[in-house]
Amino acid sequence: MPVVEYEKALLPNIASNETEWLKAYEAGGGYAALKRALGMTPEELVNIVKDSGLRGRGGAGFPTGMKWSFLPKGAKPRYLAVNADESEPGTCKDRPIMEKRPHLLIEGIVCSLLAIESEWAAIYIRGEYYNAAKVMQKAVDEAYAAGILGDNAMGSGKKAHIVVHRGAGAYICGEETSLLTSLEGYRGYPKLKPPFPAISGLYGKPTIINNVETLACVPLILTRGVEWFKSYVHEKSTGLRLYSVSGHVKRPGVYELPMTVTMKEMIYDYCGGIRNDHDLKFVIPGGSSSQWILPNNLDFALSVEGVASAGSMLGSAAIMVFDHTVCPVWAAVNTSAFYRHESCGQCTPCREGTAWMHKILMRIENGGATMKDLETLINVAGDGRPNTGMISGKSICALGDAAAWPVGSALKTFRHEFEEHIKLGYCPYKNKRYWMANGKFVNETFEHKPTWGAHH
Amino acid sequence: MPVLAHRRDEIERLCAKYPSRRSALLPLLWMVQEQEGWVSQDSMREVADIIGCTAAEVYEVVSFYTMYNQKPTGRHHIQLCHTLACAICGSAEAGEYIKNKYGFTHGKSMSDDGRFSIVEVECIGACSNAPAMLVGETLYGDLTPESIDSILGAHA
Repeated sequence: MPVVEYEKALLPNIASNETEWLKAYEAGGGYAALKRALGMTPEELVNIVKDSGLRGRGGAGFPTGMKWSFLPKGAKPRYLAVNADESEPGTCKDRPIMEKRPHLLIEGIVCSLLAIESEWAAIYIRGEYYNAAKVMQKAVDEAYAAGILGDNAMGSGKKAHIVVHRGAGAYICGEETSLLTSLEGYRGYPKLKPPFPAISGLYGKPTIINNVETLACVPLILTRGVEWFKSYVHEKSTGLRLYSVSGHVKRPGVYELPMTVTMKEMIYDYCGGIRNDHDLKFVIPGGSSSQWILPNNLDFALSVEGVASAGSMLGSAAIMVFDHTVCPVWAAVNTSAFYRHESCGQCTPCREGTAWMHKILMRIENGGATMKDLETLINVAGDGRPNTGMISGKSICALGDAAAWPVGSALKTFRHEFEEHIKLGYCPYKNKRYWMANGKFVNETFEHKPTWGAHH
Repeated sequence: MPVLAHRRDEIERLCAKYPSRRSALLPLLWMVQEQEGWVSQDSMREVADIIGCTAAEVYEVVSFYTMYNQKPTGRHHIQLCHTLACAICGSAEAGEYIKNKYGFTHGKSMSDDGRFSIVEVECIGACSNAPAMLVGETLYGDLTPESIDSILGAHA
């Protein structure tokens, strides 16, 4: 089937390895949105974003304009925290925005500062993104030197300041309240909501937290118009979206596409199908915390509603594809190890539950488990739906849910394979890992090895 | 032995960027680590004096964030991803290859000449270029035995 090409508005330079610095960004029409925003009132700006239907691109998919309107009137100072702590396994879409078009993000931040009547923003970049932090800092310095940022932003008399702040390797800091405690200089422990950050956030002041990609959409909405943004629509999801595709497809990468594209088209058309034309085993559609999807159920649109209709969630739009060489029990072990390591330790159900799940899963994978273990595991992990099992819905933040859902859905989807492991006392996939066959670890090379992002 | 004494102006500029001085704690620890390669208990006390909190509070933060090294590392610190997307594309085998090449075993994560140290980490956000690793501050993806040879060979 021919691949339908769409415009690339967020990352037209996705195939390039060069950063678009201020001069090139302005030559391509950059900072026109900010000039337009300076002529508008905050209410007008919030309404434009509301009308566009823009929803958060970080995972929860909350309408951005509505989030902004939760700020209490007149309460100052207020802050903007930019969530660049992209840590959900499978997700690698914010890094290209920061590394390739840093000024798009800066423009989006300043427009949003105007909309929420704030003067100070911090970009919280995960510690592993050394290069993205360097590029962002250089771009922020450029913007200060050009008078775009500072005490008199673009000569408007308004203040706009951006601080580039680095995390230090904690997954939990992508959770919004945890990000704020980390930004305050403490352990990244999440806080109970309410009060929501829009009422009491950073240093106890009203704070808005938005994802990098969300803010990068704002200048596009202002220059190209609400109608353009809404022309890409699936149910209540509007605009173009960056998908990170990883795993056993022929062309992994970051793809900018409308949300009407289906999972089947994504895997078989855009990504070229499964490596070496293997069989598809399962797909994780929205980062490692989302529920697993089987190959007989791929005809859904990659929108918030579309993925929900298939029984999973779009999350951060990180699609991981697994071919028939992957043992689902082993994949569940790997996922649960991640959450066990990254649980902050504050809430008992999550701290202990993630460790229980990991230990039981390891026992099933390595032999020595009994059918009773399977019962315990189901008891702890639930069935992949919210508020089932002993973890989901019982912790302060959503990490507990994120840890339980994939395990619960793995059990539901591949129950027979878990039972087979227990009966055999070993993993039947061992020694079947194709990439180990000739002593090399990637003996089946992809047909096309892109620099990340390139997919032409 | 104070390590930040000569950078006081830079530190004051950094602290002034934030509405609260305490926010500069993580950046200060990064400053120490980038200069020294790791964060010693002495430097934690120094950072505590700069921020105006106790050394225990600084240690509490250091021990929470996995990227602060509490022990010296090799000249080039390798952070190899072993989370799902990398794992299904051969990160375990890449790890074996590196470990065999430089003699890393359980309990020995630094090469004898102090050139390399290694740690397996959770997702580093390079999932569509799996398997991936960080050497120092540079990200390398799409690892193969050949590319590992040439990448690590270039780090003296």
